[in-house]
Amino acid sequence: MSAEPFPRPNVESSAPLRGELTNSDLDKSFTIGGQARPVLENINLTVRPGEFVSIVGASGCGKSTLLRLIVGLDSEYGGEIRLDGERIATTSLDRGIVFQDHRLFPWMTLEQNVELALLNTDTPKARRAAIVAEHIALVGLSGFEKAYPHQLSGGMAQRAAIARALVTEPKVLLLDEPLGALDALTRVHVQNELQRMWLAQRSTMVMVTHDVEEALYLGDRVIVMSPHPGRVRRIVEVGLPHPRDRRSPLLHRLKDEILAELTGNPAGEPANLVTFPARESR
Amino acid sequence: MNALLSRRAPRLALGLIAPALLLAGWQWLATSGGASAVALAPLGSVAAAFVELVGNGTIFGDIVATLTRAFTGFAIGAGLGVATGTATAVWPLLNRVIAPLLNALRQVPMIGWLPLIGLWFGTGEGSELIVVCLGAFFPAMLNTHAGIANVEQRYLDVGEVFRFTTGQRFRRILLPAAMPLILTGLTQALAFAWIGTLASELLMGAGGGLGVTLQTAQVQQRLDVILVTVAITAILGFAINQIIARVRREVLRWQPASI
Ligand SMILES: Nc1ncnc2c1ncn2[C@@H]1O[C@H](COP(=O)(O)OP(=O)(O)O)[C@@H](O)[C@H]1O
Ligand SMILES: [Mg+2]
Repeated sequence: MSAEPFPRPNVESSAPLRGELTNSDLDKSFTIGGQARPVLENINLTVRPGEFVSIVGASGCGKSTLLRLIVGLDSEYGGEIRLDGERIATTSLDRGIVFQDHRLFPWMTLEQNVELALLNTDTPKARRAAIVAEHIALVGLSGFEKAYPHQLSGGMAQRAAIARALVTEPKVLLLDEPLGALDALTRVHVQNELQRMWLAQRSTMVMVTHDVEEALYLGDRVIVMSPHPGRVRRIVEVGLPHPRDRRSPLLHRLKDEILAELTGNPAGEPANLVTFPARESR
Repeated sequence: MNALLSRRAPRLALGLIAPALLLAGWQWLATSGGASAVALAPLGSVAAAFVELVGNGTIFGDIVATLTRAFTGFAIGAGLGVATGTATAVWPLLNRVIAPLLNALRQVPMIGWLPLIGLWFGTGEGSELIVVCLGAFFPAMLNTHAGIANVEQRYLDVGEVFRFTTGQRFRRILLPAAMPLILTGLTQALAFAWIGTLASELLMGAGGGLGVTLQTAQVQQRLDVILVTVAITAILGFAINQIIARVRREVLRWQPASI
């Protein structure tokens, strides 16, 4: 993987180190029925500041677990996870996450759900409403500020969850199959939005997805994981500038390669979605 | 059919059919002679008793005394219940210590406490209030505990990601997430407080109230007074239920409408 990360517009070389994520020799096991069962083994992965990394892999190979470790919801693991050199032991406003299920609070309006992210930031109270409105507009939900989650469609709720995660401008944003619940059209739209927001904020993003095409379209690199226990099987560098052309022959060639890797088939399988058991519990 | 039910006037009219039939049947039985006439006073004499009770002001005094007792007992009992249920849900150690005792105590039906309370505190107004408090306490406590102890980890995770303080976690996650069950607890508590009020008034007869009047009327064999009082009790209970249902709808307007 010697290819240079493609220089994006507006990235100043003098910018301070912001959001470099290193996983070294990461191990994680769960105890099931009294027995330790390894879920992640020997994960070594460095995400460069401002990089967009996609992760693909079969259901149950530990992708959600990895994100939970990085965000700091689970501190029982072996090895090290560091953000800009600091070891991760708990949650922090520097790290945001969009969960696989949107997890909006049903008892709050969309606006309140987004605003709660700012509760413990030093954003001045007077500016919060404006920032919230701005982020709701960013995900195309203006006009729904006062709606409760049950009044939103699945896709809208997922976009609201993205707004909630973005509003604190975390150094690292983790996305766990954020677009899994969206129909194909909305999906393309939100992919483009996500890319636009990433280009605008230039935060580090790590996105889990089961859509290889999506992983390649958005990611600077695509991490291919293998299951039982979860390991990094391959890292694919996508040397194309953003925003990309979905029809790019390179993307299609890489897609075929990754699908072959995932399914164990020789390249050339004309499938888009990885056909593993698609819906997962978390 | 559903269109009919969704309009206010027809809905009210439909709800009045059963009471109207009841009254008609009543009048017929009461005036037809025979054994049932002894059990039911004719509507005319019940109305006369109503006018009499309203005229000399007893009925208002009774209503005020009973409502005051019911709501005071509800406020104290349910308040303590919600507080206890919250505390046991938040501190597992406390729960471990007092849950077995409380679970044993709640097996005693409210009325079962009357002899003991009577012996300890006499049969005055204070004892009546204690019965009401006890009736309200347990449903409020149990439902609050269940509500708060079972808040989904998914939501608590969100609070952790945004670095919620203990207070924020309580006010913005635990309490609202538990609110449907807490309100169920409060609804039950109010029903129990109402039953406890009438029962304790009937059995202890202290301090005035609808139950006390019922008891006196029974001794005096005033069938008309008994019927008026029972009817007023029913109407008040119904009104309280309506109010609670309204409050519930208002507080839980974030929930998808059921049915
Ligand atoms: N809290 C837990 N306790 C025990 N096992 C768990 C827990 N969470 C996840 N697992 C197990 O870890 C494995 C990886 O799960 P997960 O990270 O959700 O996979 P993915 O997101 O890649 O589908 C699965 O086998 C799952 O059963
Ligand atoms: Mg998952």
